Amino acid sequence: MKILGISAHYHDAAAALVVDGVPVCAVQEERLSRRKNDAAFPLSAIEWCLDSAGVAPESLDAVVFYERPMLKFDRILTTALRAFPRSWRMFPKAMKNTLGEKVWVRGIISSHLGVPAKKILFTEHHQSHAAAAFLTAPTRRAAILTADGVGEWATMTAGLGEREPGGTTSLTLLREIRFPHSLGMLYSTFTAYLGFKVNEDEYKVMGLAGYGQPTLVDAVRRVIRRTPDGAFALNLDYFDFHTTAARSYSRRFVELFGPPRNPFEPIDLETESGRRFADIAASVQRVLEDILVDVAGALQRETGARDLCLGGGVALNGVANARILAESGFERVFVPPAPGDAGCAIGAALYADRLHFRNADRDVPDHPFWGPPVSGADLARIAAEDGQQVVECAEEAIVDAAADDLMSGRIVGWMEGALEFGPRALGHRSILAAPHDAAMRDRINREIKYREQFRPFAPVVPIEAADRYFDLPRGGARLARFMSGVFPVRPQWREQLAAITHVDGTARVQTLERAMAPRLYALLEEYGRRSGVPVLLNTSFNLAGEPIVNRAVEGYSTFLRCGIDVLVADRTRVVKRGSLLTKRKEEVA
Amino acid sequence: MQKLLRFGETETDGGRDLLRAAELTGDPLLRRLYLVHAVDEHRHGALFRRRAADLECGGHAAAVIAAAWPPHSTGHGLDDLDVGRETDETMLAFLHVAEKSAASRFAVYRNVLRADPPTQRIFDDILHDEMFHMNYTLTQLVRVSPQRHRAKLWRARLSRLWNAYLRVASALAGVIGGAVLTLQYFLVLPPFALLSKRAAAREPEGWRPVDAVNIDLRRQY
Repeated sequence: MKILGISAHYHDAAAALVVDGVPVCAVQEERLSRRKNDAAFPLSAIEWCLDSAGVAPESLDAVVFYERPMLKFDRILTTALRAFPRSWRMFPKAMKNTLGEKVWVRGIISSHLGVPAKKILFTEHHQSHAAAAFLTAPTRRAAILTADGVGEWATMTAGLGEREPGGTTSLTLLREIRFPHSLGMLYSTFTAYLGFKVNEDEYKVMGLAGYGQPTLVDAVRRVIRRTPDGAFALNLDYFDFHTTAARSYSRRFVELFGPPRNPFEPIDLETESGRRFADIAASVQRVLEDILVDVAGALQRETGARDLCLGGGVALNGVANARILAESGFERVFVPPAPGDAGCAIGAALYADRLHFRNADRDVPDHPFWGPPVSGADLARIAAEDGQQVVECAEEAIVDAAADDLMSGRIVGWMEGALEFGPRALGHRSILAAPHDAAMRDRINREIKYREQFRPFAPVVPIEAADRYFDLPRGGARLARFMSGVFPVRPQWREQLAAITHVDGTARVQTLERAMAPRLYALLEEYGRRSGVPVLLNTSFNLAGEPIVNRAVEGYSTFLRCGIDVLVADRTRVVKRGSLLTKRKEEVA
Repeated sequence: MQKLLRFGETETDGGRDLLRAAELTGDPLLRRLYLVHAVDEHRHGALFRRRAADLECGGHAAAVIAAAWPPHSTGHGLDDLDVGRETDETMLAFLHVAEKSAASRFAVYRNVLRADPPTQRIFDDILHDEMFHMNYTLTQLVRVSPQRHRAKLWRARLSRLWNAYLRVASALAGVIGGAVLTLQYFLVLPPFALLSKRAAAREPEGWRPVDAVNIDLRRQY
């Protein structure tokens, strides 16, 4: 049975193809269109998935969209009605936006793919999140918790999943919290207040929180209060996201927390206002964690499950995930590599396969590499045309050379195999560097990422060595498989791992099994032999504002435009020979 | 300041599209030129943003903002050009016409900004680059399409004109649509809003059971 899953129209559109119960490919539209967070209908992603699997659209058994458009329209219309007359500016925009395209998904899919309307199915947004979290995790029975900004109506769901090998699957969402009460919206509101971009920069709030003290927790708890049944409710007097698209927080919010940050003003942690913003970030982070730990703990006691599957954009908060693992009573916490909306493409397809068509349960390969492969030959050709120094190496030689490069302080662009699905670079499209010196972090920030000083870089370490350098609780190595948890760097290693140690002594570590990315694993071993520490700084292979690179040519153009010294794609190695971009333009012409 | 930010956004979006063109072309020389051009556009975007930040909050912030706050794409790029569908010829023709038009617009700004030397210097700097862009696009267009380059240029001009018409028409339609919807909002919605508010007041806070009817995947609601 061939099922195509699609997510689109909000942010980070994606497509995924499931054949006989197992995903065979998945890719975000942004990686192909090269527009960051591309939300458009993912035609390129769909075409790539079908082409790479050799599946014709007419042979698809079903196409599953990741949410119910009319139910979402119902929420948008109802929200406008409830906010009458304050919603008068929002209403025309919301109607044009929704009625223009978003509610006609069945027709759009049918006309683009030529698939009959009866083959087009719809899961609920949080069903898709839940399926993406549970049906891809190596567990038979798990509690499920999903949380994001909003889907149709739900903003958080709690449930239970059970599956028997080769048998039936059950995925039951027991209860939900509805819009406008939303942890995701709370965090996004603070993201906007702190001068960052909503739906994109929430991770910056988490990074900034490390520099602050949670001194304003009481104030945050006035904005979000707990309900007697263990859920939460926003005090809507402090918010405006439900009445206007122009701003998220109200005047009362500003009276409570002080003037918002001007996005044009850099955050200077030496100043009083900079520290205030860091304290606010730390406070909202603390409140978010407390609620999630509490809700997860209650779910554990209710279900008795030992495993928890987390889904939704809130599951990208690695600090909260680590606290859930440590404090909620679950032994293992699973977060998929794409817990956000992109991952819903896989979730929707798997949900339809297991629960609508009642197909037998199958284990899903436990890796994030579902995208297009990279071609070393392409890189060799392009780089040679530009007169770069190109070397084609044997497998061992390429690893040796990269280890030598890293030892000499070079920054390596590393491309191998299939592209990652999800927001993290987990070793197939990564920028790698030595993790020891804070100067390396500053260099990458300055020459490659062009980003705020307060944002940390992540390390990658072989799973067997992880516990030596990082203080991982039971289940921590699993949570770190897709970089989903933030854990303390052991104090004795912090100085030697300065480039990846955050100001609060933590790191968003990735633990790597040999089977998941054998070549990167070999590189870590080689680097460990040379340096004594098998840990590398691993950051996504992209420049600020751009999606992670996909093909060799995109890696190459990124390589030329920034401070990466060496580019590796498959078995091709290119050492930068002067920058094309430092030549006079007339010379190039 | 808003004008400078909009210029910055347009330049950065154009840079993104040029980068895409560099990654898609099979011509090595064009790839290098597009890449240089893309870097120029990104730099122009940063210059505009830095100047806007200077005007907004003083010089100390500007350098940081320009580097650390790259705007994400708003989708317009090179006049809504779908780079993936263009050939080298049509791309070069389009770029030449677009650069020529931008250069003449920037020249006007440079001339009227005599009272603001820092901003004037930015336009000067950018105009210098635009000259190079105009020259190389024309030279390369003649190289890749020696027989038909004039026709390509005319087609690019007409295409820009058509796109301008579409933008104006869709903006006008947007205004009319917005007015009609706003009218409906105040004339039709009030009784429903009243009912909706009453229903909202009766809704319990906290957890709710999930509606079992939603397991039917054929439904859109």
